[in-house]
Amino acid sequence: MYLTVTQTVAMDCYDVVRQLWDYLDGELTDESMDAIRAHLAQCKQCYPQFDFERTFLEALAATRREHPAPNMVRRKVLAKLRKAGLEV
Amino acid sequence: MTGTISSAEPDRVATRRFEVEALPWLDDVYRFALSMTRDESDADDVVQETFLRAYRSWHTFEPGSECRKWLFTICRNVFLRLRERERRRVDYGGDDAQLEALASAQESVGSIAEHADVLSRVDLGPALERAIGELPEVFRSAVVLVDVEGMAYNEAASVLGVPVGTIRSRLFRGRRLLQEALVIFGRDAGLTAQASCEV
Repeated sequence: MYLTVTQTVAMDCYDVVRQLWDYLDGELTDESMDAIRAHLAQCKQCYPQFDFERTFLEALAATRREHPAPNMVRRKVLAKLRKAGLEV
Repeated sequence: MTGTISSAEPDRVATRRFEVEALPWLDDVYRFALSMTRDESDADDVVQETFLRAYRSWHTFEPGSECRKWLFTICRNVFLRLRERERRRVDYGGDDAQLEALASAQESVGSIAEHADVLSRVDLGPALERAIGELPEVFRSAVVLVDVEGMAYNEAASVLGVPVGTIRSRLFRGRRLLQEALVIFGRDAGLTAQASCEV
């Protein structure tokens, strides 16, 4: 599917979808970020895909629970460091 | 200038800096270790060894650089040594070509986004955590560092000792595998038709 958006920088749907994750990760140049943002604002074909990928990545990020190290591990680490000379 | 902690007389300033800058990342290092080992006992060993190595080589840490990334790099290396020593899992082999071929074969799920509605009705958290744990290790590390720990591609590349392009590639494969796992999860939960998500 090649829906060309002519405003701003021309970028077709293929290019947008191909770079969607880089876009969501903020790993593109400012120019490319702007071009994709402009495309998504107008393209009814690409926006649902973008919305899905964004939701997916948000769900992934949300799995980062505060998972504290068990007290036993903490104690072992500190004991090992003390033995090595750390004064804690 | 701080001296080396490993010298005969520990530099108190350096020691204090280690306490303030490195120790607060213990929970993060543990979480990362657990994501790699998938075994609490092994994660325990990896974390202990990571901090011991970090302490002994604290003089090599560049003040002002990101301590968490530095610790993760050590943690990853400790894990790789542990894995090499134990050789307990065949799929830990790290053969990127083989794993990527496997992932490619599994990419035929079609338009994953078609299942967006289904997935929006699924409690993604537990399913995702399980799916992350089942990813081949090379993909799991990239996904955990970037998607869970929030690192930039270049930071994750530094931790894993691979080019940024490899991180991008592993993320692509890893994320697709996770999406496919979610679709299967949705199917098994009766939320989507079996025919539409066969892989």
